[in-house]
Amino acid sequence: MLRILLINDTPRKVGRLKSALTEAGFEVIDESGLIIDLPARVETVRPDVILIDTESPGRDVMEQVVLVSRDQPRPIVMFTDEHDPGVMRQAIKSGVSAYIVEGIQAQRLQPILDVAMARFESDQALRAQLIARDQQLAERKRIELAKGLLMKMKDCNEEQAYTLMRRQAMSRQQKLIQVAEQIIAMSELLG
Amino acid sequence: MSDQVGNSQATNPLAWVNGSDAPEKSSLDLGFMALSDCASLVVAATQGFAQPYGLTLNLKRQSSWAGLRDKLVSGELDAAHSLYGLIYAVHLGIGGVAPTDMAVLMGLNQNGQGINLSQGLQQQGVTSPEALERKVHQSRTKLTFAQTFPTGTHAMWLYYWLASQGIHPLRDVESVVVPPPQMVAHLQAGRIDGLCVGEPWCASAVQQNQGFTLATSQAIWPDHPEKVLGCTQAFVEQYPNTARVLVMAVLEASRFIDDSIENRRSTAQLLSAGDYLDAPLDCIEPRLLGLYNDGLGNHWQDAHALRFHAGGEVNLPYLSDGMWFMTQFRRWGLLREDPDYLAVARQVQQLDIYRQAATAVGVAAWGEEMRSSQLIDGKVWDGSDPAAYARSFRLHALADDVVRHALR
Repeated sequence: MLRILLINDTPRKVGRLKSALTEAGFEVIDESGLIIDLPARVETVRPDVILIDTESPGRDVMEQVVLVSRDQPRPIVMFTDEHDPGVMRQAIKSGVSAYIVEGIQAQRLQPILDVAMARFESDQALRAQLIARDQQLAERKRIELAKGLLMKMKDCNEEQAYTLMRRQAMSRQQKLIQVAEQIIAMSELLG
Repeated sequence: MSDQVGNSQATNPLAWVNGSDAPEKSSLDLGFMALSDCASLVVAATQGFAQPYGLTLNLKRQSSWAGLRDKLVSGELDAAHSLYGLIYAVHLGIGGVAPTDMAVLMGLNQNGQGINLSQGLQQQGVTSPEALERKVHQSRTKLTFAQTFPTGTHAMWLYYWLASQGIHPLRDVESVVVPPPQMVAHLQAGRIDGLCVGEPWCASAVQQNQGFTLATSQAIWPDHPEKVLGCTQAFVEQYPNTARVLVMAVLEASRFIDDSIENRRSTAQLLSAGDYLDAPLDCIEPRLLGLYNDGLGNHWQDAHALRFHAGGEVNLPYLSDGMWFMTQFRRWGLLREDPDYLAVARQVQQLDIYRQAATAVGVAAWGEEMRSSQLIDGKVWDGSDPAAYARSFRLHALADDVVRHALR
């Protein structure tokens, strides 16, 4: 069963989304108005998906979406009356997985949620690959730097420097990057 | 590597448009089991061998071969340290899983497994193959031997060795599956009388006075194929550049380990860490350096100890190596009919990717497709007539309904 967190950013007391969800057989585990710290709420409630019902997403809503995407990434579906393509683009950029304008029909909810979840998963995978790529590059630069320092200190060639670093790392059950950082730190100390 | 372009075009049009042979996927999850022969993957992942190719390798230790297989097939693992026979069993659909097209990217090691007997048998004077054969044929209760996976290399070494001593592995003894790191505990508890497993677990049993090593796997077949870097065919098709640079990184790590005795020592130290083998250094290091102590007072430097590279001879995925496991599946009734041995091996063994990778990192051995070996029973295997070879053994289960028994 999908755990749904519903944010009702409309003046209505009971949102139109709640009744559509209930009619479609979904269970809403938590419903609230727009709150100041949405990531904290997400951490406590641990929903599978966040639905935001808003007449027109303002700056406050977008800000909360950005924060959730950064700290507690979840699929976010936004239901709104706002037609403006600029606002829609802004919402997608903030981290909304699906942006649905008008017309909440119970029978359409399941496919909408399915698409949002799939989209979210592929975005997350892409993000992880990008982070890995950045980290690789950064580590590679640090290792190169340490190798250069060691070549100077030991008056040895590139391959010998790598072998020395690797042996040191392996016999201390460390990764190469850890030994590289130690060499850089030591060289700064003696600098 | 301009010859890559044609390959990539078929599977990844974007790579061709961009003229790129960079990996399509930059972060890979690699499965491994806590065994000394996973060394090249651990060294490649932790010692900066993959970074220059734009690849991050995340090591994922598995607790059983069956679990590793399931995650490999489901795609949760991109590639894994695998038993030769595990890859072929999945490919052929033996053993309770739907057949999935599999791939052997390269060999990871040769040699370095062993057959141990329990302390109980040792105390009864069962310390030679002949004594074991007498014991098996004279006692009423069957001895129980553990291996690590029904179609795995250890099952095949155990069966081959027992049969070479006149013991039928499926009729004369019981066999059970135990994950490698739990072998010693099972010996200690008296649940098994013997076992076939990779190091350091044979050495560990000897060290803890839980019996002795009766035979090494290299005594069955000097420089035999053992673990491979395995993945699904789908992975190779979807990420051809990734597969190639993965092989390049692991080849370089393998070469580094075999390069000097100091590098091997450091490898032993790294492996003993909690994240990898989680075993004492003095169980891992001696046999990784080829120093054997069988627990009966015999010490020797083994001429065919665990090795990872040997100029690429270890890593080349020979068609004859792949076919051999199919001949043994046939011999023991795991396959009820002869497969098209050569065609299946050609499909599974990724010779093209291996050749590209080996050439790129300057590894010499990549040209051969078959090799010839003489095994413990005097038979020669060169890949030339697999169906006849499978039928040539005195002890076998070709026509028996033993499949269920052997797969238990």
